[in-house]
Amino acid sequence: MDIRVDKDACVGCGLCVKDCPMHVYELQEKVSVPVRPNNCMGCLSCHEICPAQALEHRGIYAAKRHYIDIKVCEMLRKVV
Amino acid sequence: MSAGYIDELHEAFHSDLVYRPEEIPLECSPRPKEMEQTLHGVMKLNGLVIRSLEEIAGRGANAVTYRAGKKFGHEVAKYFQKREDVEGALHELSDLLRGQYSFEVWKPEDKETFIIEENGETFIYLVFHDCIVRQTLRRNGLDQGGPLCQTLFGYVVGAIEEITGRKAKLEIVHTGPNACLKKLVLK
Repeated sequence: MDIRVDKDACVGCGLCVKDCPMHVYELQEKVSVPVRPNNCMGCLSCHEICPAQALEHRGIYAAKRHYIDIKVCEMLRKVV
Repeated sequence: MSAGYIDELHEAFHSDLVYRPEEIPLECSPRPKEMEQTLHGVMKLNGLVIRSLEEIAGRGANAVTYRAGKKFGHEVAKYFQKREDVEGALHELSDLLRGQYSFEVWKPEDKETFIIEENGETFIYLVFHDCIVRQTLRRNGLDQGGPLCQTLFGYVVGAIEEITGRKAKLEIVHTGPNACLKKLVLK
């Protein structure tokens, strides 16, 4: 697993450190560092919790997503 | 209700199709893409049932759905080949859940084997990737790990018990938007 942290974007809040059950991240000099990337099982909780959207995972299996509301998507397509 | 509206309704449900009993359809009709709204409808319905059950039964809802799932797991796995090895049982389970759930055995990097012995218990970590339960909960804005998850838990435990003939227990270690980590404890 290749996990990248945008050091400029990371605000050092430590939410990913607290949330990860496998202790993949550590705060070093107020920036999150993935110290155990091989322990990552790809739940992406850290993505969801990161307020700065500073994380990027490569080589991950993306689960099927059926929960996107079709009507919301249709409306978004009209706007975006 | 106007006569015009009723005629319109009748018209919508009328066709010239001749349906014979021997004509067993070999594929879904309509195409899966056209079933999207139906799928969302089913997900909404499931979400509503689970939310209401939680409101009515409180914490007891978890026990009820777990027992229901376990019973179902036992019933379904009854027709599967009995295996004593856990690896084989998980393979059978994977076949059983195909299309609805996908999972893999997983271990932290400091462990050498997938079957882990720690603090007097033997367990295996399972990472659930595709999961219709997770999709349903997120579609309805419900928390993960509640009664609907417990149904799946019971289902897995029931199936493993039926296939191996051993008692088992499943624990939630972590739930996430893309995958969930579960611990299958073998007794």
